[in-house]
Amino acid sequence: MKNFTHIDAQSIEHTIPLLDYYARPLAGGTDLIPLMREGVWQPDRLVNLKPLADLHFLREAGDGLHIGALTTLDELDRSPLVRERYQALAEAAHSAASPQLRNMATLGGNLLQQVRCWYYRGPFNCWMKGGDHCPARSGENEHHAVFDQSPCVAVYPSDPPAALITLDASIRIVGPDGARSVKVADFLAPPDELHRVMHGLGLNELITEIVVPHTTARSLYLKAMDRAVWAYALVSVAVAGEVANGTITNPRIVLGAVANVPVRLGAVEALIDGQLLTDELIKEAGTMATHGMEPLAHNHYKLPLARNLVRQALRDLTGQRM
Amino acid sequence: MPKLIKSEINVEGRITEEYAVVDGDELAAWGENEELAIVGQPAPRIDGAAKTTGEARFSYDVQLPGMLYAKVLRSPHPNARVLRVDASRAEQLPGVVVVLTHETAPDIKVREGKLPLLPEDARFAGELVAAVAATDPDIAADALALIEVEYETLPFITDFTLALEGSAPKVRPNGNVVSQPSVTERGDLKAGLAVADVRVELTVRTPTAVHNALETHGCVAAWEGDQLTMYESSQHVYGVRTFAAKKLGLPVSKVRAIGTYMGGGFGAKFPGQPYSMVAATLAKRSRRPVHLMYDREGENLESGYRGASVQHVKLGAKRDGSLTAIELDGLTECGSYANWVVSLGGPYAMMYTCPNVKLTTTGVHTNIGPFQAFRAPGFVEGMVGLEQGMDLLAEKLGMDPLELRRRNLAKLDQSEDKPFSSFPVEECYRRGAEAIGWNKRKPTNDQSRSSERLRRGTGMASQIWWGGGGPPAYAEVQLNGDGTATVLTGAQDLGTGARTIFAQVAAEELGLELGSVGVTIGDTYAGPFGPASGGSVTTGSMTPAVRSAANDLRVQLCSIVAQLEDVPEEELEVRGGTVYRRDTPVSSVKSIMRKLGDVMLIGKGSRGPNPSDVSVVTSGAQFAEVEVDTVTGRVRVIKIVAAHDSGRIVNPQTFTSQIQGGIIQGLGLALTEQRVIDHRAGQILNPNLEWYKLPTVADIPEIVNLLIDIPDTKANSLGSKGAGEPGIIPTAAAIANAVANALGVRIFELPITPARVLEALETIA
Repeated sequence: MKNFTHIDAQSIEHTIPLLDYYARPLAGGTDLIPLMREGVWQPDRLVNLKPLADLHFLREAGDGLHIGALTTLDELDRSPLVRERYQALAEAAHSAASPQLRNMATLGGNLLQQVRCWYYRGPFNCWMKGGDHCPARSGENEHHAVFDQSPCVAVYPSDPPAALITLDASIRIVGPDGARSVKVADFLAPPDELHRVMHGLGLNELITEIVVPHTTARSLYLKAMDRAVWAYALVSVAVAGEVANGTITNPRIVLGAVANVPVRLGAVEALIDGQLLTDELIKEAGTMATHGMEPLAHNHYKLPLARNLVRQALRDLTGQRM
Repeated sequence: MPKLIKSEINVEGRITEEYAVVDGDELAAWGENEELAIVGQPAPRIDGAAKTTGEARFSYDVQLPGMLYAKVLRSPHPNARVLRVDASRAEQLPGVVVVLTHETAPDIKVREGKLPLLPEDARFAGELVAAVAATDPDIAADALALIEVEYETLPFITDFTLALEGSAPKVRPNGNVVSQPSVTERGDLKAGLAVADVRVELTVRTPTAVHNALETHGCVAAWEGDQLTMYESSQHVYGVRTFAAKKLGLPVSKVRAIGTYMGGGFGAKFPGQPYSMVAATLAKRSRRPVHLMYDREGENLESGYRGASVQHVKLGAKRDGSLTAIELDGLTECGSYANWVVSLGGPYAMMYTCPNVKLTTTGVHTNIGPFQAFRAPGFVEGMVGLEQGMDLLAEKLGMDPLELRRRNLAKLDQSEDKPFSSFPVEECYRRGAEAIGWNKRKPTNDQSRSSERLRRGTGMASQIWWGGGGPPAYAEVQLNGDGTATVLTGAQDLGTGARTIFAQVAAEELGLELGSVGVTIGDTYAGPFGPASGGSVTTGSMTPAVRSAANDLRVQLCSIVAQLEDVPEEELEVRGGTVYRRDTPVSSVKSIMRKLGDVMLIGKGSRGPNPSDVSVVTSGAQFAEVEVDTVTGRVRVIKIVAAHDSGRIVNPQTFTSQIQGGIIQGLGLALTEQRVIDHRAGQILNPNLEWYKLPTVADIPEIVNLLIDIPDTKANSLGSKGAGEPGIIPTAAAIANAVANALGVRIFELPITPARVLEALETIA
């Protein structure tokens, strides 16, 4: 690992001017440190955010749930408030990684997690690392995207953001020109030629908090893995909606691990909005969930998996047992 | 008087005949109804506290004054010639003490006994090119980045299924077939297939599975003058001594090998790998101790694996189920270097009676690091093919799969035409079937029409393996001045509990409490020769040697007490730390020894010869119950019932740990573990524990280990056999059969991942 200096942040205001391409913010370090060990990133300076107590909180206000960027995934998972009102978020946080990692990993950092693609993390100069092509596209791509969104076919790896999009959450960001707010759904975006990351945070900006609007909707998160725990999703789904007498209104459905970013299924939402969720409609919703998917050589299974998970999530949301 | 004999040495199925010197008089085996106080009782590991508190020192933990840390530079190319290495910048980095390249490496031949320590021809991505010893591991790592290497890259092949095609680049000058294919043949295969009423044909694939022992490969090498001490994480401490002495031209008396605690080997840690000579050389040149332990990536790139296999299988049987023919045409992945090839045919040849058999295994070279033995090499893979074939045959015959196996169980060792010393598989079947509820198993054909989300299935598979051990194996037992005893041997405990059962056997034979017996093992300067711990031989080889030494000591003790107390020696015996004359206590061992002051009684023992008229094997069966989630495609194993014959069980607690460990690794092979290679680039994509998925605690099912516990009195004086490998042999096959039973459709390629389950379900939807 390249040598670097380590600076403790004094305040948010003090931190912003310190940040640039060569000076990265350090929170839980569960992604940054391995990236540095692997030589993928080689910053000269780390600015340690952990002393900033004003980034570490979890409270409910009139407009909803405010989550400080340094809140750990474990804290989200264990919060009775999150578990009761924002189930999808609690379940997504719980399903991520291992207890040791959840104890360290922060929600702010989780939003920024780099792709776990084995080409990106391995000895390949892939497009995401500045190379000219994506070796996964015609290589070993069983864990990769089924929606073609950019030259890179890696999937966005984090669990909680799909839940956050389902819950219509926003992110507060502070930069040199002050604060701004952006929906998680807009913050995460496929990479492009000049911007080879999957999020919209500037190099001199910090996520300060995540705000989840107050909701009466039920929500949940389902994640398929290839072992019982501690794996990235093969496919995941977050759903939310108001359910009464078997009828769903204002549904929101987001698929994870199918594209560069979590994918909201607008057409499926429109299909079921205001409808009685019959077995037939649920089946149709599942089938529609796979529309537009273009599997690569080794990930055809993601189509039946996405279809099954959407159906299962709708059944679970309405309390139906298969 | 010592006796010179020839004895078969079996390491992981590689059988050689070598000399052994054994005691003149072998002790009579403990009988089936022998009353034993300590052997056969569950006992926690005597080193358990040391391990859990961190007090136990593994090779990785060794810290010596002035010690340097070494790191290795690996070839990034799957096949390349090293044209030029410039280490001058690395050498100038403050803290760097020695850099070793192919130009400066000593003339030591390693791989296959003939290839240079740091080769100019790097035949896999990950092959050693250079090594650095520095005052701290980070400096050593930084120095690696300063070594400039110019490579000529060459064509390569990493897909073993394509490596035998004419157009494939040659991994080795003689081509990509490792050696002559191994062929086992008896009877007339064609005739056997012709007379069959029912035939099945299947192709089974098993993945590359990496040992991924918790402790990586490595050692600490330290010289004092011309004497070398090697602290090595090894399955054969005495073998480390032999290898180092031979390669460095030292008398064996000048080499001390130490491996007191070990974090797993599973077959990949036999001596002879290059790193130990790299460490010894760096230590010699720097005149300082050198610590060279691999990281997880190095472990995955260089340190071995169970080669993937492809098995084309044909079975034929008469209407009554009796097998008439077994054919196997198998390929096994060997990587760039190989001294031997695993036998996929072992289980096909041994498990069931069949007069007409032809079993071919071809080992294939590729530009991937060399394979190493991995817990029952060949037999785990072979069972996956054989036992799925048996289930298909049972379906075709309309017969219960267990009944088909009962009808075909081997009646003798067909390769040697000798009876087994003990082969209680019927008993394992009976008890296993009862424990899993085999009679409630649904027929496979009904299941594909089920609309249940969670589908349950039950399957089973049989087990056969060697594991009886044999000579040469030696131990000493010392009786100390306070009446405690110490067992000394150069054998090692890989983490299996060997240390504990040595203490149990010595305590039993000496009539002492278990707590009065200490064990010093894994040090060639402390104890006599012990065999390699591979092939499940440690129990069968070493416990009779320990018993023999303890018996020698007990005889001496009785003789001394007879002289001291003036009583007839033949009327004395030792029980619970007290010497009795008939049933009257004479004196405690402790007070006798106190009287004698600094006197030390030393018993010596060796493993006796193996029987020549019987074949010693371990055998058994496992039964698996699984639940397949048709929504996610994930297979959850609910329960595994294991019933294995390892003869007399010395310690039910450590025995069960061994069976559990085998089952967990077998479950990984069945469901989650597989190496992924990009064959275009010749690179392993998952040399880490993120994408090489070991089972987690949450994946591990209820494991019921039935104690068969029938002493194999013909095998050795304990009647005990090994348990390290038996536990893994049937697991993957039993799980594959259970999944097929659950789904009504069979997945012929392991691991049975959600992707494969979902794809299989789509085909029947």
